[in-house]
Amino acid sequence: MSIPPVRKERTVQVPPETAFSVFTERIGEWWPLASHSLGGDEAVSAVIEPRLGGRVYERLADGTEHDWGTVLVWDPPSRLVLSWHVGRDPAQSTEVEVRFDPAGEGACRVVLEHRNWERLGEEASTTRDGYDGGWETVLGRYTDLAGS
Amino acid sequence: MHARQLDALGDPTRREIFDRIRHQPRAVGELAAELPVSRPAVSQHLRVLREAGLVQAEASGTRRIYSVDPSGLDALRSWVEDMWDEAMARFAAATDEERGDR
Repeated sequence: MSIPPVRKERTVQVPPETAFSVFTERIGEWWPLASHSLGGDEAVSAVIEPRLGGRVYERLADGTEHDWGTVLVWDPPSRLVLSWHVGRDPAQSTEVEVRFDPAGEGACRVVLEHRNWERLGEEASTTRDGYDGGWETVLGRYTDLAGS
Repeated sequence: MHARQLDALGDPTRREIFDRIRHQPRAVGELAAELPVSRPAVSQHLRVLREAGLVQAEASGTRRIYSVDPSGLDALRSWVEDMWDEAMARFAAATDEERGDR
């Protein structure tokens, strides 16, 4: 069950330094929290702690925080890798890599890859809890997030 | 499609069947032998899983072997595609603002 990575590319008209800082420092401003967070309408911000091993999380209006993942590579302004386990057990993390490549004068090509989908199901059935944390949670999260 | 998958996996026996198939493709008889469920009941569960796009059947001699249908995971993947499309669009808009600020 090998699943190809999700890959997105986007050229922005700012240098890599700016693109990197907007992506990381200002994620709380641009991330589509209402549609893509655990808290939905309750979510007020998202945070990437700017260091190796930093937490990636969302914050709700009441101060509650929900972990999304961890910073695996912190290499400004060119590369960022996050483990990504929104709504799941960290053992079943997928991985998000973002590269910020210079693209001519004052521009930057941002290449994002979300991969390791196999991890979602891996060993998930070795324990009942593991299974519950796998498919069921993922699909459940999907419907929650999709608002259905 | 997703509602159907969730409904299909909402039943503990079907989850168990799906889980077993996920690790090793199996025939109806094998599943019935492993589980405290009659063969016709297993067939019925498999039909629901198949209609939900979670498992697929392939003829092997006189038997039908059931395996995971990758489209189940594809559905999840396309949701993630949409998520990053939206996120990247908003990120790009945020960098435009930054440019305007300079």
